[in-house]
Amino acid sequence: MKFKPLMIALLASALTLGLAACSSGNNGSASSNGGKNEGSTNTNSQTNSGNQEDTSKKEVKITFQNIYPDPSDPKYKMLRTVVSNYEAEHPNVKIELDSLNTDQQKVKLKTQAASKEVPDITIVNPAAQMKPFVDAGLFAPLNEMVEKNGLKGTFQEGILDYYTFDNNLYALPDGNNIAIVYYNKKMFEEGGVKVPTTFEEMVDVVKQLKAKGIQPMAIGEKDSWTGSFLFMNILLRTNGGPGFLQDVIDGKKTFEDPAFTEAVNAFEDLVQAGAFQEGATSFDYNAGENLFKTGKAAMYFMGSWATGGIEESTANENQNVGVFKFPTVNGKGNPNEFMLAPGSAFAVSKDSKHLEETLDFLNYFLINYPKEMFNLKGAIGLAQTVDGDFKAAGYSDMAMEVLNLFKDVKGGDLAFDNTMNPGTAQAHLSSIQNLFVSKTDAGVVAKEHQTAYEENKD
Amino acid sequence: MSYTAPVLRKPTVRNDRRGRFSVTTSIVYVIFAILIVTQLYPLLWLLIYSLKTNEEILSGSFFALPASLQWQNYSDALGGGQYFRYLGNSLFVTSVTMVCVIVLASLTGFAIARFRWKYANAVLMVFLVGMMIPMQGTLLPLMIIFKHLGILNTHLSLILPYMAFQTPIAVFIISGFMRSIPHEIEESAIVDGSGVFRIYWNIALPISVPPIMTVCILTFINIWNEYILAATFVTAERLKTLPFGVYSFVSQYSVNYGGIGAFLVLGALPVILIYFLLAEKITKGMVAGAVKG
Amino acid sequence: MNVLRVSGWKIAAFVLPCLIIYSLLVFVPILVSFYSGLLDWNGIGDAKFIGLKNFEKMLTNDSIFWPAVGRTLLLAGVSMGVQLPIALCVAILISRYVRKPNFLVSSYFLPVILSVVVIGQLWKTIYNPASMGGMLNQILESLGLQSWTHSWLTEPKIAIYSVIVVALWQYLGYHILIQFTGIQNIPSDIYEAAKIDGASGLKADRYITLPLIVPIFKISVVLSFIGSLQSFDLIMVMTGGGPAHATEVVASLMYNMSFLSMKYGYGSAIASFLVILCLVATIIINGLFSKLDKRYS
Repeated sequence: MKFKPLMIALLASALTLGLAACSSGNNGSASSNGGKNEGSTNTNSQTNSGNQEDTSKKEVKITFQNIYPDPSDPKYKMLRTVVSNYEAEHPNVKIELDSLNTDQQKVKLKTQAASKEVPDITIVNPAAQMKPFVDAGLFAPLNEMVEKNGLKGTFQEGILDYYTFDNNLYALPDGNNIAIVYYNKKMFEEGGVKVPTTFEEMVDVVKQLKAKGIQPMAIGEKDSWTGSFLFMNILLRTNGGPGFLQDVIDGKKTFEDPAFTEAVNAFEDLVQAGAFQEGATSFDYNAGENLFKTGKAAMYFMGSWATGGIEESTANENQNVGVFKFPTVNGKGNPNEFMLAPGSAFAVSKDSKHLEETLDFLNYFLINYPKEMFNLKGAIGLAQTVDGDFKAAGYSDMAMEVLNLFKDVKGGDLAFDNTMNPGTAQAHLSSIQNLFVSKTDAGVVAKEHQTAYEENKD
Repeated sequence: MSYTAPVLRKPTVRNDRRGRFSVTTSIVYVIFAILIVTQLYPLLWLLIYSLKTNEEILSGSFFALPASLQWQNYSDALGGGQYFRYLGNSLFVTSVTMVCVIVLASLTGFAIARFRWKYANAVLMVFLVGMMIPMQGTLLPLMIIFKHLGILNTHLSLILPYMAFQTPIAVFIISGFMRSIPHEIEESAIVDGSGVFRIYWNIALPISVPPIMTVCILTFINIWNEYILAATFVTAERLKTLPFGVYSFVSQYSVNYGGIGAFLVLGALPVILIYFLLAEKITKGMVAGAVKG
Repeated sequence: MNVLRVSGWKIAAFVLPCLIIYSLLVFVPILVSFYSGLLDWNGIGDAKFIGLKNFEKMLTNDSIFWPAVGRTLLLAGVSMGVQLPIALCVAILISRYVRKPNFLVSSYFLPVILSVVVIGQLWKTIYNPASMGGMLNQILESLGLQSWTHSWLTEPKIAIYSVIVVALWQYLGYHILIQFTGIQNIPSDIYEAAKIDGASGLKADRYITLPLIVPIFKISVVLSFIGSLQSFDLIMVMTGGGPAHATEVVASLMYNMSFLSMKYGYGSAIASFLVILCLVATIIINGLFSKLDKRYS
């Protein structure tokens, strides 16, 4: 018993020393890459392989931050297949996957960027959203890499422009989608309405469906980009073509331009006609989409990435779901101009310790990406051209329809947050979300936008 | 100051139980029952939820049962969710954090409450300031500190901040309690010739079991589901904790809610088991602590 | 008065390990945040020093900030003014009427350990419109109270209250547990002595339980205040701060500014404000309770 205080003292000091030792111990190995344990495994396998194989090939660990954590997502399987194939061909390379959900990946990357700890491969969004990272000089240019193995040729024309700054390509996209309207054929029949060819008809269809007790449209407006995406499509029409936001940035227009207020009014017409479900702003993306998927709403405006999920839903039994292009508004605009959604893209850290190997892997990955996705029936809305007979591979009628729409695309606009700086974008998103809960004069909305833009301009 | 000193007194389980079958008693029991339903129903709901399809969950009927039981969700959670590895990591991180918090905070709390020195109150104030800081606000500075310490992507990068953020409230609670211990005790101990460490270990610590239990529970609920720090500081799959499993069912344009439900059931199960097994001991511990002094 | 006289190195051995870790990982980041609050910085690129401009804008020219502060204080107020008294009553009742209270207290405590992801889903199915199976509205309708139905989470004036109710529900059992522990530590001989003097039941609670529970009630108050200021996950899951900032609180605003709007400097200014708010609150709470202590001791 007498030794007890002594033991406590020892215990306490051992603990503090232990912690200190722990951290300093890691200090050394962390410089190699990541934490302490990687360090030790690396040395182990080095000594092992030293006897058997050529010692010139050093062990390489590439960290691949990605947003495909869900095992039921085709991309999850694709990612693991390609990675294990590559690791089999290159035994000295180990790809460490850091799979996170989208929101958390954004926060993590921003935090990492601020401390210059960007992972070897990461995911960014196109255009304005990736610009701050490019400006901070965090990414390696991919100009040379994309020429290897004909990778550049697999990408659709013009798509890489959204990831190019000052003639340097900094990221390669995982998808390219357009905004379309999905509709439930049976519900349209029950409501006695036809596919609208103008926005005015669309508002009318909404009213008729509503009168028959059918929920006209579904939206997941808790994720405020969904409403903004629809609003921007209206603006794309009222502006008579793409480029409104660019004109604002270039100082040729302001948000108080008639095209903008007209779009706000049209959007409010749709909301006031009762197009969207009650409590829309508390539905997140999935809950909103689910209304359409379960046959509880007749129309759904969304990017073509939703095709895969809708294809397999109860609403699409007996090929019951069709798609149409977003119509003209007040006779303005061209339905063949779409809201474009170039996908999230893979970028490589400039400070990667194994830059060469990382680039080689990414090249291999993207060459194989479309093939694997085609096999997994996830090849709608890829950024790369896909060789293969979709019909024969068992893609549904609706999927074929969507594919055909892609052929009509004659340009269009990007989403608001891909064009404007984040500060203005957040103000915009909240301003549009507000239209769902309270009717606001278009002039006021325009003013809100203009104020936010001027405040956030560099 | 805080907690009345239980020292030298008998434990209390206070049962006046006047008017055994009176109207008041029944009303009180009805209140308990209602509370039990509102607080326990979520668990039942979670169980049902974990056996539904996504469409059933999102269609949102409160009482609806699944059309067919989706055991698939559980195999998703066990397979793709890396359940056992995450559980092990969570248990490790949480228990190490708890032990460290208790040791460090009780040492400091003891010093603040019982030692005669100038800066006791100043030190307490320093801790109080940090008590209410939200962890998210320190994400970026911590990232930079850990980068320089070279401990990114280790469990230490989780344990250290968890510990640091839990110590202020722990010091607050424990020092408050220790202040209420009557001075006669250590005076007699000094007469016996015991040193301070001995007083701490043999007297102060056993008496302080109740506040330590409170600290344990607090620490646990604050870090068991913590995700933002974990997601930011840990990259390697083998180091990830339970919340990663929950969020692994969230992808860009779809969420597997059934999988989340199943994973949460599996994640909560060991905790609930441990809790109910120990609940008796926890209360007994509190009481025992009171008697020992 | 503290009695133990100990040498400096012993004090250091007791205090320093904890103090060092705490200062390095909590205090230093706070100081860094204060400094970042003086920058015009998107968190990634070059930072520009702009003095107190962020603070100036936040305090005088931000239409979202003060309402968010108001909501945060509202949450704290309701939580301290409604939730804690209820928890105290329940704790007293349990200690008086239940012989084996462990199961009951433990059950009440359970919602705390559930992840907010599930809590959010659960309450959405309660708050949904009746047509989507929302339980609350369906009950109101079946009672013939159609006019009382609401879009609980999307009407800007109501949404914040709906979220507050969830927060109160989730942490009720937690405070019951803490206060029940406190009551159990009140020695029974005090009650017995009081009984002889003719004080039992409510009277005993008024003159014995309440005064003696003050210290532990203080812990509850502090915890509920901390919880309110940090309430963030629940808001993000249930409303995301919307519709149009109608449920934004200080912590969610800070997060949105730092990571979504990429105004890290501005976000840090908000974080600094939060720290100051906490400091003021701690001082007020301590002051109030030391008065109470004096009154009862």
